[in-house]
Amino acid sequence: MDTISNMLYGFQVVLTFQNILFVFIGVLAGTLIGMLPGLGPISAIAIMIPLSYGMDPASALILMAGVYYGAVFGGSTSSILLNAPGISGTVATSFDGYPLAKQGYAGKALAIAAISSFAGGTVSVVALMLVAPLMASFAVSFGPTEYFALMLLGLTAIASLSEGSTVKALISATIGLIIATIGVDQQTGTQRFTFGNPNLLEGIDFLIIALGLFALAEVCSLILSRKSKMMNGNTNVGSLKITKKEAKEISGPIARHSVLGFILGVLPGAGATIASFMSYITEKKISKDPSSFGKGNLKGLAAPETSNNAATSGAFVPLLTLGIPGSGTTAVLLGALLVVGVQPGPLMLTDHPDVFWGVIASMYLGNLFLLVLNLPLIPFIARILYIPKALLISLVIIFCMIGVYGVSFSTFDLYLLLAFGIIGFIMRLLNFPAAPLILAFILGGMMEQSFRQALTISNGNYMTFLDSKVTIVLLILSLLSLTLPVIKSKFSKKPTEEEKEHLAS
Amino acid sequence: MIGSVERKVAIVLLLISILYLVLSFQIPTFPYSIVDADALPKGLGFLLAALSILLFIQNPTEDRKKSDLKKDEVLMLLAVAGLIFVYILLFELLGFVVVTILFLLFTSRMLGYTKWKTLSAVSIGFTLVLYFSFNYLLQIYLPQGILPF
Repeated sequence: MDTISNMLYGFQVVLTFQNILFVFIGVLAGTLIGMLPGLGPISAIAIMIPLSYGMDPASALILMAGVYYGAVFGGSTSSILLNAPGISGTVATSFDGYPLAKQGYAGKALAIAAISSFAGGTVSVVALMLVAPLMASFAVSFGPTEYFALMLLGLTAIASLSEGSTVKALISATIGLIIATIGVDQQTGTQRFTFGNPNLLEGIDFLIIALGLFALAEVCSLILSRKSKMMNGNTNVGSLKITKKEAKEISGPIARHSVLGFILGVLPGAGATIASFMSYITEKKISKDPSSFGKGNLKGLAAPETSNNAATSGAFVPLLTLGIPGSGTTAVLLGALLVVGVQPGPLMLTDHPDVFWGVIASMYLGNLFLLVLNLPLIPFIARILYIPKALLISLVIIFCMIGVYGVSFSTFDLYLLLAFGIIGFIMRLLNFPAAPLILAFILGGMMEQSFRQALTISNGNYMTFLDSKVTIVLLILSLLSLTLPVIKSKFSKKPTEEEKEHLAS
Repeated sequence: MIGSVERKVAIVLLLISILYLVLSFQIPTFPYSIVDADALPKGLGFLLAALSILLFIQNPTEDRKKSDLKKDEVLMLLAVAGLIFVYILLFELLGFVVVTILFLLFTSRMLGYTKWKTLSAVSIGFTLVLYFSFNYLLQIYLPQGILPF
C-alpha cells in the first residue's frame, strides 16, 4: 500500500503541465540524438544539461532521465534502418534488426523494437519502484568505509567489463581520479595542481569532461565519416503491423530479458550495452533454431531491445539509492543532479521524495511517449537522419560550447573543453575507453572524502576497512572483478567470434 | 626501437606519472592531519606508473583501424580544431551571435556543405533562436559583444 501511495505522490509531481512538457522534451531530444549514429547517451545528456540550469531538481532529473532512456530507445532506429547503431547499447539490435530491414520488413522490425523497448522499460520501472526503497533502507547504515568500497567496486567493475584491454581501462580510471585531484582540497583547503590559476581552484567541471571526451570526440569521428551519407533516399519503412503469431513469439524473450536486463543494469559496471549482448547470446543459446539468428530472427531483435531498456531503469537503482553511479552515463546524470543541488543517496527518499518518486513516475509516462513517438511517428522522426553531416557537426560543436560557457561564463573553460575533445579523440584512436575516466572523475572526490573520513574516524588505523562485513564483501568483489577479464578471455572465444561475424556481415 | 604504439603510449604515461608524482611531493602538508591532501595524489601517481609499466610489459595487440586516418583527414580535424580555437578567442570580443553565425558558415562550408541559402538560413536562425532562448527563457547570458541586444 505504501508503494502505491508513494507512486500516487510521484504522479502528482509529474502530472503538472510543466513536468509533462519536460518528460516530452527529454524523450524527444533523447530519441533524436540517440538516433544519430555516433552521438551516444552521454553526449545526449551532456548537451541537454544547460537546459536544466535553474530548474527545480525534480524537473531537471525528469528531463535528464528522459534523455537517457529516450536515447536508448532511439538508438535502435538507426541500428535497424542503417546498420549503424546510434549508441553502443543497440549494437546487438542491428544483428537481427538490419537483416529484417533488408528483407523489406523495416516497419515490422521497428515496431517490434518499440514494443520490446516499451515492455522492457515499463517492467523495469516497476522493479525499480519496488527495489529502490529496500536498497535505500539497507544503505542508510552505510558508513564511509562501505561507500569507499562500493565506489571502488564500481570502478574495478567498469574497468574489467569494458571492451579491450583491462589495463587500458584501469589507466583511464586512474587518469580520471588524477584529474579529480585538481583544485582546492575539500578537507584541508590545500591547493593541488592549480598552478596558481584561479580558474582551476574549484577543479575542472564535469561537464567540460563529459562534453569534451564524448560529444567533441564523437564529432571528430563524424568529421572523418562526413562523406558517407546517413540515409540513402529510402524512407519507406513498410508496414508497422505485427501478427498475433509474431506477438506470441516475442512475448517469451520480452518477459525473460526485462528481468535479466534490469538485474544487469543494477550491477555496477554493466549497463545497456552489456545487457543487450548478454540477452542476445542467451536467447540464441536457448533457442531451438540458433542458426536463424543474425538473419532476421524476431526473438534476436526483441531480446536485446528489451534488455537494454530494462538495464537503463536498472541503472537508476544504485544512482538514486546509493548516490553512486555504476556507469559512465549515470555518472553524468549524477553530475547533472549535483549541479541543481541534489545529492542522491539513501536519504534522498526522505529529503527529496519529490525527486525520487517523481522521476520514477515520469518513467512510466516517458515510456508511453516513446511508444507513440517510435511507432506511428517513426517515419517522420527518422528524417533527422537526412540532416547533412557537415551541418550537424558544426551545430553539435556550438551546443558543446554553450553548455560549458553556461556553467562557468569563462572562456578558459572553453579552451579546456577543446583540449579534452582532442584528448578524447586520441583516446579513441588508441582504444582507451572513456567511460571509466568519467566515472572515476565523478567518483574521485567522493572516494577521497570517504577514504579520509574513514581513516580520521579510526585515527589512522587502516584496519577500519575490515571492520564491517559489507565492506569486506565489497572489497573482495572488487578484487574478484579484476580477475574477471582473465577468466573471460579463457572462456569467451566463441561469442566474440560470433559477434565479429555479425558485425562484419 | 621501442616497438608498438602501445609501448610508446606506456612510456608517455610513465613520464606523465613521474611529473605528477614530482608535483604531488610539492603539495604543502600539515603536521596534524591524519591523511593529508598529498596522500591520494602520491598513491595515484604510483598507481599510474605501475599501470603504465604493466601496459609496456603486456603490450596488448589490438586490431585497430590505423590506416583509416589519412593525411588530409588529419588536416581537416586540425582545421576544425583551429576554427574552434578562433571561435573561443573571439567569443567574448565579438559576442555570441556574430561569432556563432560566422563559425557555422565557415565550418559547414569547409566540411563540404555547399547549399548557401539553406546554410545561411540555418546559421542565422539557429543562432538567434539559441541566443534569445538562453538569454530570455533560461536567463543564461551569453556574451553580447558588439551587438546592441
